[in-house]
Amino acid sequence: MEAEPVVAGSLTRPCVKCHAQEATLDSRSQPVCRDCFTKFIATKCIKQIGILGKETRPPPSATGSGPAQGTRRYLLGLSLGVSSTVLLHLLNENVEFQLARGRNAPFDLVVVHIDHTQPTTTPTPPSTGPHQPNPTTTTPASRALDPYRRRYPRFTFHCIPPLPSHPYHPAAPHLDSLNSSSSSSSSSSSSSAAASAAASRTDIRRLLTRRALLAAARAHGCQALLLGHSTTALAELTLAEAAKGRGFALPWLVRDGPAGVAVGGSGGGSEESGRAEESGNEANEVPVLVYHPLRDALRKELVTYADLVGIADLVADRHPSHQGNGNRNGTANGTANGPAAVVSHRDLSIEDVMARYFADVEENYPSVVANVARTTGKLVRLEDAGGGRCGLCGLPLDEGGDERWRGELGLGAPARIGNGERESRLCYGCERSTAG
Amino acid sequence: MAPALCANCKTERALIKRPKNHAKLCKGCFIKLFEDEVHHTITSSQLFYPGEKVAIGASGGKDSTVLASVLKTLNERHGYGLELVLLSIDEGIKGYRDDSLETVKRNAVQYGMPLKVVGYDELYGWTMDQVVEAIGKKGNCTYCGVFRRQALDRGAKMLGIKHVVTGHNADDVAETVLMNLLRGDLARLSRSTSIVTGDSRSEVKRSKPLKYAYEKEIVLYAHYKKLDYFSTECIYSPEAFRGSARGLVKQLERIRPTAILDIVRSGEDMARLVPGETSSSCACKGQTSAVMALAEDDIGGCGSQTGRARGDEMAAMDKQLRENEAHEGLEIDVAKAMAKNQKDGGQKHRELPLRSGDGPSKGFARQVLRNCKRCGYMSSQEICQACMLLEGLNKNRAQIQI
Repeated sequence: MEAEPVVAGSLTRPCVKCHAQEATLDSRSQPVCRDCFTKFIATKCIKQIGILGKETRPPPSATGSGPAQGTRRYLLGLSLGVSSTVLLHLLNENVEFQLARGRNAPFDLVVVHIDHTQPTTTPTPPSTGPHQPNPTTTTPASRALDPYRRRYPRFTFHCIPPLPSHPYHPAAPHLDSLNSSSSSSSSSSSSSAAASAAASRTDIRRLLTRRALLAAARAHGCQALLLGHSTTALAELTLAEAAKGRGFALPWLVRDGPAGVAVGGSGGGSEESGRAEESGNEANEVPVLVYHPLRDALRKELVTYADLVGIADLVADRHPSHQGNGNRNGTANGTANGPAAVVSHRDLSIEDVMARYFADVEENYPSVVANVARTTGKLVRLEDAGGGRCGLCGLPLDEGGDERWRGELGLGAPARIGNGERESRLCYGCERSTAG
Repeated sequence: MAPALCANCKTERALIKRPKNHAKLCKGCFIKLFEDEVHHTITSSQLFYPGEKVAIGASGGKDSTVLASVLKTLNERHGYGLELVLLSIDEGIKGYRDDSLETVKRNAVQYGMPLKVVGYDELYGWTMDQVVEAIGKKGNCTYCGVFRRQALDRGAKMLGIKHVVTGHNADDVAETVLMNLLRGDLARLSRSTSIVTGDSRSEVKRSKPLKYAYEKEIVLYAHYKKLDYFSTECIYSPEAFRGSARGLVKQLERIRPTAILDIVRSGEDMARLVPGETSSSCACKGQTSAVMALAEDDIGGCGSQTGRARGDEMAAMDKQLRENEAHEGLEIDVAKAMAKNQKDGGQKHRELPLRSGDGPSKGFARQVLRNCKRCGYMSSQEICQACMLLEGLNKNRAQIQI
């Protein structure tokens, strides 16, 4: 990928797309120039944004709630990693392009980073809204947002903690350990328990990030949540979730479309959404859409892109969530530091294993990676599989599948969390992650 | 520190930490629990009926040896009333089968079961050594696997038996699930997890009673029961997606031991999410439904693969996919374009702009079961895989002889 010296007048290796410039990069085994490459990535993204734009076309008449009439409003989950940073950059470019042509901005964008280093229990008065940036708290993550604010002044940025713990939230103890032990050397003595715990922590963190982003999207009146997943990230997600027993939920996690999650969420930050969920009164609300505009770009391409457009320095690889045991800020994916040379499997999460695996596959067989993501996209969503939502991940429960599985393995009754009215069941995958 | 007691009987000293869930057990309880779990699998899936003649596909390896031992034990303990026979395939690989066949012969004596050995040479006119001589070391595992699957059926037919059980374990199934995800093969994914393969139309049905048993526990069981098994790697070491998937399964197991069963569970659930696939993979409800897998698609490979190798197969697929992508822009799916015009539903829009060539509309024509015109083996094609491979081999042999 090094620039070759240009022989005066003639091109030693012309770009296959424009034939006008020297090819300095390899894109999908074709030599291309810098401009064509960045255009290629931008096109991949804009295409998806266009699809989403049609999905979220404002209704002709005002609906009362939600965004101001005639404006699309999206929320971007920013993990501070490469992929979501690139997505932010591309969205900004898109807006600037439209404005430069004298059109209206195609959408409003709210950028949210879920900061797991902030205490989750911080009581926030509902009146001021839970998602207002709190000037008194300066965590490394909120400081890491400052260069983003300077670079993209057009958008509003929020750094918010994950959802406050549900009183009976099974993840509460995990969250504590999750906050306290980013260095895993302090964790439990039994190595197998430690390994499982690292995997579970990462999993639960990822789920809570996703729910927090969806809740924020709802709170901000956004029609869609945009996530930075690359093709590679979606392939990783597919295999990781399969490995965690969430095969049933894959179509909700990988495909674009309405979030399968009950968005109100347990203790979703606002009293109303909490009540709405309890009374099962969410059906009349328009579901938040989840889109992955970078689903057609490989991670390595995004890394190259970030370098080319000069935003690599924004990526906060020193941020705690990108450090040490490679715990990534799950949902809004993408790390600058690829798979690090961690030796002990104790500290690895299932996501880490997949990231290492696909970094390798992506390098040698990029089309295989793309094929995984594409294939998973064909799986159908079973909307009504026995009713109910998982108390942790919020995705639909698979009553029939659970029943059959218990029968096949001769297991006992399903785990329940909480008691009385608040009692809710867990899906198979969440049972696994909360078990130990 | 007092020695830990068995979590099950609470009297004996715990000697074993179960690979599956890290429960600390004594030897007796481990063996009992392992057998009980296989028994549960058998009864909940109604694998057998009283008086059924069942052939155990025996390689002399740990999986099939444990399967034979457990089935013999359970058959006596729970009165299944099964007539068990060992069925072995001789691929004709010098130095590989010679020893393992000796093991199977000893097993036959130890378990008091009759043994039938079928050779590739008598079935196909080719031993594996001859195949390798003809086509080289790469890709010969395809031949071996395809030939072996049919060989078991043909051997069973010779014995007048309609049910073959194989020693595939949970690791194998998990591996297959991941492999099919990697290959993007939803059709196989939807079939690979079923415990019974082959339907009423096929003459021989297959099942895998050890589907939920961990490979590590199978090894432990063989060890503590002092079973006589033969362990060696196939000398024609494979390179495949399977190896890649196997490595992944092993890594995941280290991080979270339940991952293997979790993958099996995911595979079963995803089978129901494959477009066009409506039934569950539960064999107890749908014995007669047509959802059961083609035996041809059953878990492949030798089961003795090392897992580090991966190469040609993945590279070939990557190349193929890349070519497809390159051609994509040139193709227009006219039928789809017309369908698109007909329905203006907003929801459909997001699926449309991409990939007119390989969209889901095309990929899931359900395979139709029929019988091979040459050998009568059930196949989705007019001529089964084995006969196709043989044709190629024989063509080349003719040339060599000239």
